[in-house]
Amino acid sequence: MNLNQLSPRAEMEDLYLPVMAEIKETRRLTDLETLYTVELPDGRDLGHRPGQFVEVSMFGIGEAPFSISSSPTRKGVFELGIRKVGLLTEKLAELEAGTKIGIRGPFGNGIDVEKFQGKDVLIVAGGIGLVPMRSMINHVRDRRDDFGRLIICYGSRSDRELLFTEELEEWEREKRTEYHVTVDQGSPAWKGNTGVITTLIPGLDLDLPNTVCCICGPPVMYRFVLLALKSRGLADRNIYMSLERRMKCGVGKCGHCQINGSYVCQDGPVYHYPDIKTLQEAL
Amino acid sequence: MAQKPRVAIFDFTGCEGCELNQLNFEDQLLDILAHVDIVEWREAMDDRPGEYDIAFVEGSLSTPDCIKRIHEIRRRAKVLVAVGACAVQGGINGMKNIRPIEQVREEVYGEDKYLFPTLPALPLRAVVKVDHEVRGCPMTQIEFLKVFTALVMGKEPIEPTSSVCTECKLKENECVFTKGMICLGPVTRAGCDAHCPTFGQYCTGCRGLVPEPNLEGMKEILVEHGLSVQEAWKRLQLYNAVELEGVRS
Amino acid sequence: MVQFFLESDRVAEFVTHLMKRKPVYAPHRKGRKSYSFERTRDAAGVVLDYPRVMQSVKKFFLPPREQLLSFDLGDNTCRAGEVEPLDAIFLGVHSYDLAAVGRLDHNFSEGRAERNYLTRRQGALWVGVSYEPDEYHFAGSVGIDPYDTEGFDIFLTRLLDGYVLEVLTPAGESLLEGFDLPAHEAGKPAKKHFQQHIYVPQDRLNEVMSASYNNPVWEETALGCVGCGTCNLVCPTCYCFNVEENVDITVTKGSRDRHWDGCMLREFSEVAGGEVFRETLAARQRHRVMRKFKYISEKTGQPWCVGCGRCTAYCTAGISIVNIVNRCISDYEKSTVSAIR
Repeated sequence: MNLNQLSPRAEMEDLYLPVMAEIKETRRLTDLETLYTVELPDGRDLGHRPGQFVEVSMFGIGEAPFSISSSPTRKGVFELGIRKVGLLTEKLAELEAGTKIGIRGPFGNGIDVEKFQGKDVLIVAGGIGLVPMRSMINHVRDRRDDFGRLIICYGSRSDRELLFTEELEEWEREKRTEYHVTVDQGSPAWKGNTGVITTLIPGLDLDLPNTVCCICGPPVMYRFVLLALKSRGLADRNIYMSLERRMKCGVGKCGHCQINGSYVCQDGPVYHYPDIKTLQEAL
Repeated sequence: MAQKPRVAIFDFTGCEGCELNQLNFEDQLLDILAHVDIVEWREAMDDRPGEYDIAFVEGSLSTPDCIKRIHEIRRRAKVLVAVGACAVQGGINGMKNIRPIEQVREEVYGEDKYLFPTLPALPLRAVVKVDHEVRGCPMTQIEFLKVFTALVMGKEPIEPTSSVCTECKLKENECVFTKGMICLGPVTRAGCDAHCPTFGQYCTGCRGLVPEPNLEGMKEILVEHGLSVQEAWKRLQLYNAVELEGVRS
Repeated sequence: MVQFFLESDRVAEFVTHLMKRKPVYAPHRKGRKSYSFERTRDAAGVVLDYPRVMQSVKKFFLPPREQLLSFDLGDNTCRAGEVEPLDAIFLGVHSYDLAAVGRLDHNFSEGRAERNYLTRRQGALWVGVSYEPDEYHFAGSVGIDPYDTEGFDIFLTRLLDGYVLEVLTPAGESLLEGFDLPAHEAGKPAKKHFQQHIYVPQDRLNEVMSASYNNPVWEETALGCVGCGTCNLVCPTCYCFNVEENVDITVTKGSRDRHWDGCMLREFSEVAGGEVFRETLAARQRHRVMRKFKYISEKTGQPWCVGCGRCTAYCTAGISIVNIVNRCISDYEKSTVSAIR
């Protein structure tokens, strides 16, 4: 056995050792979601791409992957939008600014923003899928002249569950952002669209050959959004999607996040649709 | 922690072996007591009414009085933990439910049967909301410690859902079937660190069935290894009679 | 290549010699009918003629349970778990098990290299031994012969009254220093026959498995499978793991530990919120077998199964991976034949 190839270099990193990062600020987004502003030691930049994730941990509680919600264009700190769904997230929700949490990453491929340059960017986000997509949205907004139009379709179960409401209003006001929103079920006060996210797609004004789309949402959403986009004539090669699986280690070792033979933490979470069309477990 | 959680320990129909097992924490008992105030413990103190942050409850419910008491305990307890096979899944007591209750009463109490109202044995969760479980017969000590620490930390304990086989394999125990014995490890919940197989015994299934067990498959395994279909079903019923009620044997 | 003859009577003496050089890990009897790789304390306890051990030598490099880090809840700090090279001799290893180590080496060094595994792997020396294929071995079908010496420093091929001892590397040569053996002039015995075979050459398995996603064999296998996870947990090339937090009873410190996990277990593909991405036993069986013969082999060019037969030998439900694959093959061939017609 050729051991030379295996020699651990003295500087070999410990893949599983988190760095301790400080929560600078917490902001309640809804009853369930909180936005955490996090700073790495010495204000070091995270150096991520939109669509990437980090592993967040609290000692004695656990570790789980979370999408990065801030744009790489905004340096110094990064943001995580986290929904309470289990042990770790419940505990995270109790934390106050000044507390340190463990961070590993960024992991995953993220969106290759170069490929989106000069194109119209269509974002389709359902529910908490807006969290990673916000990173891309703000990237485009911050590098506005590098991209064509920015079209956002956002669907939520109800208006009470809408995330980043102040920003949504900003997007709505902005001339160069085309923002569409719908809720499955609106409260009496809701004046906007009602219906599932796919109802937004037929009405979009799209320059098809020049549009790239990025989808992120709950597992049931993808199939229907794809159908809607297809019936608009958007080519598969112009579609990207961010998928969620159990990315436990984040570094392609633990095996939990596989979709057929693909490791989401390595080949994803952002997939080019033609690459996963034939993966039966993907959608 | 400003104030220590108030803990109460109760028992219903069972052998009280679980409580004995709690007293058996020779190495950890002082650490445990450092975290909590024990306000009731039948094995150790007298009954006193009060409110509890955590109630550990052993035994299954088998009389109208049991039902009344468990409601009372539930009302007073913030967190209720079922401890041991009887409390969690009805345990061996559940075997009683296989036969008509009248027949059981007659056999046990004879002519005096009218003096002793008895019900089919029920796990706690059949009557009240159970927050957490410590499985096993007697309750698994390592699991008790895990649940206990989790509760002291204010977090949800993680419940194992995989089979006892996984723990045997991690310990490289010689497979009980290889030894020519019959084992329920393949469909029994892990969490005991394969205690019995490690010490040369087969798994009797005391920790209850894994979620969504393939019972047909397990029966086939048992029959393949020498049991009759009837014996195989009885084996499965030993600790799981309540769960298997209504399941076709 | 130098060949010597090691008489059966001198095996213990040979083991003792090795023990003077480095710690020796070798198969020992365990229980009634089983064998296990253990640290050798007494040369007489080493068994070189054994069908298989439940856990391959993987357990030394990727331990069943392992501390990844320890933490202090008081000051919210952590430290990486300590990992030492094993620097030992692994004696009596079957060729498929060393081949499996090669697969794991690939997994833990590709992409981001893993310090824990690779540190432990340092300094291992390998003394292999041939074996008589039993009713479960099918290593020949994945290109691994019982006499395969690849990767070994020394290899022992069993004859009736002893072993042909081949020295294969300079490290093997230096291991033998100070231990005199007569040269072996005659050749090695003829190839051993396997009782179990996968019925297509391994380079066609990708093609077959690609066409087998919807084969009824997955549903049929799931009828008897109880999802206990044994097949994953005895596999020498399975490397999946889960991570859990363990807190000390004092609630002041604890550790983040990993332990072997398996894709046959329901919670393996469960995400926060409760969604299970491989809900049925059929889907999980398919995933397990596809991992061995398609998913990983597509990427690495090697089947991720080494034909040790453990998953079948230890399956209480009697599920045979060879039968599953052969069923896929025969259905595939039938479908291609009918396509030609």
